[in-house]
Amino acid sequence: MEPLHGLLDMLVLRTLVLGPLHGYGVAKSIRSISNEALEIEFGSLYPALKRLELKGWIASKWETSEHNRPAKFYRLTSAGKKKLRQEHSEWLKFASAITRIMGAAPEGQE
Amino acid sequence: MLWRKLRYLLPSRRRAEEIEIYEELKSLKELAQPGELGNLTLAAEDARAAFTWIWLERLGQDLRYALRSMVHNKTFTALAMLSLALGIGANTATYSFMESILLRTLPVPDPKSLVVMKWRAKNFASVATSMSMSTGGTHTDPGGGTVGTELPYSTLKLFQSNKDILSSAFCYFVSDNLSVTASENTDALTGQYVSGDYFRGMGVRPAAGRFILPADDEAGTAAVAVLSLRFSAQRFGDPSLAVGQLIRINDKPFTVIGVAPPEFFGAEPGYVPDIYVPLHATLLLSPATALTGMAQRYQDRNFYWIEVMGRLNPGVSLAQAQAVLAPQFHRFVEESASNERERSDLPELMVTEGATGLDSLRRHYAKPVVVLMGMAGLILLVACANIANLLLARAAARRREIAVRLSMGASRLRVIRQLLTESVLLALLGGALGVAVAAWGIRALTLLLANGRDNFTLHAGLNWTVLNFTIVLSVLTGLVFGLAPAIHGTGFDVMPALKQMRTTMLAGKSRRTRNSLTLGRSLVVAQIAFSFLLLVAAGLFLRTLSNLHAINLGFNREGVLLFTIKPQTIGYSGPALNRLYTDLQQRLSKAPGVRSVSLSIRSLPTGGGSLVPVVAPGAQLLSGLPSGGPQTNRVGFLAVGPVFFETMQIPVIAGREFNEHDMTGSPLVAVVNERLVKILGMDAPVGHTVAIGKTSYQIVGVVRDAVFMAIRDDPRPMIYVTYLQNVRPPAQMTYELRTLGNPIRQANTVRQIVRQVDSRLAISDLGTLTAHIDQAISQEITLARLCTVFAVLALLIACVGLYGTVAYNVERRTSEIGIRLALGAQRIAIVWVVLREVFALALVALAIGVPMALAGSSYLKSLLFGIEPTDPIAISVALAILFTSGLIAGYLPARRASRIDPMTAIRHE
Repeated sequence: MEPLHGLLDMLVLRTLVLGPLHGYGVAKSIRSISNEALEIEFGSLYPALKRLELKGWIASKWETSEHNRPAKFYRLTSAGKKKLRQEHSEWLKFASAITRIMGAAPEGQE
Repeated sequence: MLWRKLRYLLPSRRRAEEIEIYEELKSLKELAQPGELGNLTLAAEDARAAFTWIWLERLGQDLRYALRSMVHNKTFTALAMLSLALGIGANTATYSFMESILLRTLPVPDPKSLVVMKWRAKNFASVATSMSMSTGGTHTDPGGGTVGTELPYSTLKLFQSNKDILSSAFCYFVSDNLSVTASENTDALTGQYVSGDYFRGMGVRPAAGRFILPADDEAGTAAVAVLSLRFSAQRFGDPSLAVGQLIRINDKPFTVIGVAPPEFFGAEPGYVPDIYVPLHATLLLSPATALTGMAQRYQDRNFYWIEVMGRLNPGVSLAQAQAVLAPQFHRFVEESASNERERSDLPELMVTEGATGLDSLRRHYAKPVVVLMGMAGLILLVACANIANLLLARAAARRREIAVRLSMGASRLRVIRQLLTESVLLALLGGALGVAVAAWGIRALTLLLANGRDNFTLHAGLNWTVLNFTIVLSVLTGLVFGLAPAIHGTGFDVMPALKQMRTTMLAGKSRRTRNSLTLGRSLVVAQIAFSFLLLVAAGLFLRTLSNLHAINLGFNREGVLLFTIKPQTIGYSGPALNRLYTDLQQRLSKAPGVRSVSLSIRSLPTGGGSLVPVVAPGAQLLSGLPSGGPQTNRVGFLAVGPVFFETMQIPVIAGREFNEHDMTGSPLVAVVNERLVKILGMDAPVGHTVAIGKTSYQIVGVVRDAVFMAIRDDPRPMIYVTYLQNVRPPAQMTYELRTLGNPIRQANTVRQIVRQVDSRLAISDLGTLTAHIDQAISQEITLARLCTVFAVLALLIACVGLYGTVAYNVERRTSEIGIRLALGAQRIAIVWVVLREVFALALVALAIGVPMALAGSSYLKSLLFGIEPTDPIAISVALAILFTSGLIAGYLPARRASRIDPMTAIRHE
């Protein structure tokens, strides 16, 4: 299990399940859903979008944004949905493994 | 994904994508807070990396850099490319032969669905009471028992009736040479009798006209023939002109109905028929005396003579065909067996893959080709070790350059990749040159293997399979010789390397330098060890060859011209045959430059022969004779003409030889050799009587032993009779002409005289006796010559390597040597110091090489003659040559070392 590899890709795919979003929308969505805990650099997010598009997991289309301006919206393809399901189950396994190891908050001597 | 990525290689597509990214980012910037998105230029750059081929761009950079650095080091590049070209060339040429002999499929559509029918028996399948082994397909299997390809004609019907398994079943039979008269010329051609379904089953299309059809292959139909493109072009020019021509085969009229395509050669690689006739034409072409026997062959279920092939229906596997056909074949042979002995050893059918045709050639050449491939591989290894060594020396010189690159932030991996790109590029360029070397080498090899036979057509050549092999080999080579120096050349501390400038770098005493010396030395050791292996192999094959040449044949092979005629095929019979033979002998004897002429029904050592039981007076059976098995009473039998022993220069030690008075009507006479006399236990054999079967002969002469049938075997006991006393005159005759000067000069005279006697007579196997014998040992000749060339090549490369290493060491130790000289060391002592290292390297190499040679050479055992694979002479000569060349290679730098001026050397530091 390679846990951290492709973590960003997984988050992007998960965000797009809710519906098509433009690049900035994806960044905002990740930030707000995680209660501002995760701040993804747009400099990393944007290349990730391009990479996922190249792999055929997401597709893009110019549409009109909420401010009536043209923006490129990304949506999940069926291949992307399949990939997400796979990533999701792997993530669950990984997370539960980590949780088992870490357990409750440690109470070591200080 | 790959496809999508490939599209971005188009510049227009790339520009469009870049504009798209720019537009998108601009639109997003307007949506977000100022500065929230960070460095958008970098984001765009990183995004671009996702769809462009960054590694391709880097490869481009690496290649440009590699080319520049290669041009910069011209000597190194030239040396490396030269040894690579030789190494890769030798491998490519050898591989192209391996491909044409062992791997290539027949040039017919869908060769994979072809099958060859074979049988296997525990002993010799005694149910096959008669057998005609036209192709040598029957052989003793290494796994025990006998495997054969010849089958009775009636099995063809059996296979043809299985329409659900085989879409077609067809057969062929390789004929003796046929005398073909076309446009006034008569040639002896290799021919093939084919069944009516043969060409349809093979699936080839004619170059002109049509092929033989089932309707043509019936007794009593019009005589038709298909020509090879080569022969048709030779006689009629354009193939379409050949169709409809009337030709004579063995003096019987035939009509040419078609011409085979140029690449087609039937089912046996290495054997190319020039003419195809229907199988039933055997009835037309057999001499009248043999006609009944030939007609019976078609009915006889115990006569094994045709080669059967088939084509599987689509979807039918080999195993399925085997499962269905084998039981049917079993029933067939069971019914054909007539007694217990035959029933105890019934042959079983094996349906085998037919994509590469029949495998008699493969069986014959597989081992020599594998040996040659191994040798060629060793050469390449030597070349690789050599270049790795050169690269290692160069890495020392390039250390500063590499240090600069590392310190500027290049990762070590990136630098290694750069260095590997250089070596692979070098290897590919060497490989390209190697293809040129191979093209030349293939021609040379074909000449060597053909060894005078003009119908030798292996069609080895540079095709895609071979070129792919070369490319893969080159890349691998580049990686093999490049990897160690690259890893080695990049793993050092950058700072000292940067600080140390050019001068003292070489004299460094760091661990790294010592390591590089060890690596360099082991590479030299490897080169010497591999060269030693090749030298030993060359020595073994050369000794084999000289043993074969030194065989005491019992006659003088020099100065004799041979040729064969088969007058019965053009209608001669009875007394007319003998009149022709005598007439021709007399005419040839009168030709200027001819000392004596004789004739025999077969050429003496290479024409094969027959064995007969000989009984001495008192009628006790002979015992203690050669050849195993139950029949020990086998004596070589040869019918010859007058002055045979004089012409062959076989000494007559008692009595006389045959003369023209020994003929029909006079008492039957025989000449025996010493070995037979000894076995018969006769004191004064001349005048005694011996019997072959029930016929008695009076011994008129005793001659010295001469080899018969196989030159590798000891001479057999022999009995010679004169053909003039044969009950039936022989159908064919081989003439021997002892000439003054080079016998081949008489070739045209022979052709003229034969044409004068009868212009329809075809001459076959015209050549010197020496050439005939050389052909019998052509495999050994080829191996010996090639192996010698390979060994010399490897030795040269290894010597260059040794020289380079020693010279490099001398340079490194310049100051040390200077100090020694200043302290009063003798110059000869300095030479010794340097040579000592050469000796040490050679000794280590031999400590590895000798056991390797001893272990490996046993594989060659079956290819050797008269020596053991551990032949001490071959090994010691190889040792001597190696040491001498090593000394010469080491002496040059050693002498330079001894001439160092102490003062200059010390200031040098």
